[in-house]
Amino acid sequence: MARIELENIQKKWGAYWGVRDVNIDIADEEFIVFLGPSGCGKTTTMRMIAGLESPTEGTIRMDGEVMNDIDARDRDVAMVFQGYALYPNMTIYENIRFPLRMRGVPKGEQDALVRRAAGLVELTDFLDRKPGALSGGQRQRAALARAIVRQPQVFLMDEPLSNLDAKLRQAMRVQIKHIQRELKITTVYVTHDQIEAMTLADRIVIMQLGAIQQIGTPDEIYNDPANTFVANFIGSPPMNLIEGRLSEGTFTAPGLRVEGLSPRYAGKVTLGVRPEDCTVTEEGAHLQGSVYGVEPTGDVTYLTLKAGEKLVEVKADRAYRAALGHVESVRFDPDRIYLFDTETGQRLR
Amino acid sequence: MAEKRKKSRSENLFLRYLILGAWALFCVAPVLWFLSIGLRPRTEIITPTPVYFPSFSLDAWHMIWEDWPMAKYLRNSVGAIFGSVIIDLVLAIPAAYSLSRFEYRGREDIGFYILSTRMMAPAIVAVPIFFLFRTLGLLDTIWALMLIYAAINLSFVTWIIRSYMLDIPKELEDAAKTDGAGELRILWEIIVPAILPGIITASVIAMIFAINEFLFTLLIASTPDAYTMSVALANFTGGSDGIIYNAIALVAFIAFLPVFVVVVAIQKHLSRGLTMGAVKG
Ligand SMILES: Nc1ncnc2c1ncn2[C@@H]1O[C@H](COP(=O)(O)OP(=O)(O)O)[C@@H](O)[C@H]1O
Ligand SMILES: [Mg+2]
Repeated sequence: MARIELENIQKKWGAYWGVRDVNIDIADEEFIVFLGPSGCGKTTTMRMIAGLESPTEGTIRMDGEVMNDIDARDRDVAMVFQGYALYPNMTIYENIRFPLRMRGVPKGEQDALVRRAAGLVELTDFLDRKPGALSGGQRQRAALARAIVRQPQVFLMDEPLSNLDAKLRQAMRVQIKHIQRELKITTVYVTHDQIEAMTLADRIVIMQLGAIQQIGTPDEIYNDPANTFVANFIGSPPMNLIEGRLSEGTFTAPGLRVEGLSPRYAGKVTLGVRPEDCTVTEEGAHLQGSVYGVEPTGDVTYLTLKAGEKLVEVKADRAYRAALGHVESVRFDPDRIYLFDTETGQRLR
Repeated sequence: MAEKRKKSRSENLFLRYLILGAWALFCVAPVLWFLSIGLRPRTEIITPTPVYFPSFSLDAWHMIWEDWPMAKYLRNSVGAIFGSVIIDLVLAIPAAYSLSRFEYRGREDIGFYILSTRMMAPAIVAVPIFFLFRTLGLLDTIWALMLIYAAINLSFVTWIIRSYMLDIPKELEDAAKTDGAGELRILWEIIVPAILPGIITASVIAMIFAINEFLFTLLIASTPDAYTMSVALANFTGGSDGIIYNAIALVAFIAFLPVFVVVVAIQKHLSRGLTMGAVKG
């Protein structure tokens, strides 16, 4: 059980910034997810928490105690590595048991713990195998089992589900969240998959180029994005971002006119609207465009319209069908229109 | 079309076996010829025309075991060689771990220094080494041979093991650290098993070098007390009986046999992949 504070954390390699100005206060028992594209510094931040990498500047505290100079082995964290890092000469059973042996768990309790962890990740039938004889997904589950076999202060999970197929990933997601809630262990989870982030996190930390873009609950991140990067990264399909001009509360772009916006801003502005906040209708329409593509998924149909040079994605009724080139009108939910400064990408509120 | 492809494939296969067969014969023939010399009477060795189907004789066999202390030479060889390999491993594994894992000043220089001990001609240090061992009172003992062989091989054993260690993903050690393992445990439980093929490879090469070592053995072993196979072999060529070719051939064959057996037994390890599924492919 631990609170983790990262204060002004910087990590530099020569002149290259891996991580910059990271400030997070992770509450005890919180499930926090680092989300961002590949190379944005997620793994590096996690390794600094684990004690495998030391920050160039800044302070790491656990339960108020400064951890910067504490060895990884004395930090009592359990980590799932992005590359699995299973011990090749040991069987899966021995791999999962290794942390128990190292942490001095009594011999008599080890077997039951190993079998329980293996059961949770559905690996019971593979305990006698060596890692080399497992598939990628099985190895990943073995790595997960090795982390959850004991009760550390902190779980660190670096893309622990990235190599599983969709069905198993969903099942493991539920499993991980359940284990975390049950054991009440502070968890830092890294992923580049926004669905994973949204479903697992108490709070999401969105990173780009080594810097934090926004920290917030999944709802906050979804409903109240701080900039175009966050707006575009969260949501599937992503938010439409349409560049245009704003003057006296009216936004205009080719094929698009929205009135009644904030009169406080003017000039080059980017309008954002999510596909799910659009309705195909003539009445009070904001956008007119020609049908560029129709994608039925069964549950809903995604419609792509071309307005000027811009492609705009719209979530339509599941029965919606239209011929290419057909001109269609769309209305945006006026309460769910976002404005961003086109230059800086920052949200205009 | 398919017919043709099939045919050319079987022709291919035939050609491949032909080439491999020829190569195998080329390698094995001298060994067999040697063995046949060792097992024939002296009269059939030096003849105007080659004797391809000699009569069988155990003369040389009896001679090397009964007239010479062959068993003792063999024991000396095996003892000195195994001892030297053990000394090498005990020193080289921690040294290689340090050179491959920790950052410290002068690390590269130390690495180069270790390798540089291989670069000079052995004869240059022969005389100082002779006096060194005389002072230590180790002349004419297999302990001296052990130390010499170990010293000769230490540099490249360290180097081979180091290169295998460099191939181990760092994440593996990071995982062991977060699991709570200390450095020595990481070395012993994670690294050493993972580079076992490398350790075996280095050991076998060290053995082969040691078996073939001649100069220092001759220098240190002045009586049969410390003779090894390689020096004993040289001694067969002298003496009042003339050159006893069949005995030489047999001794050479016996000297060759252990290396051959070891290499065959471990060849699986020599070529086996390193990390074997430790990390994502
Ligand atoms: N040891 C290192 N030396 C130099 N650059 C590094 C090192 N480790 C990571 N980086 C760089 O830091 C950046 C962030 O890496 P990482 O934290 O692994 O990203 P992520 O996990 O978000 O994909 C990357 O551009 C990577 O190339
Ligand atoms: Mg990463």
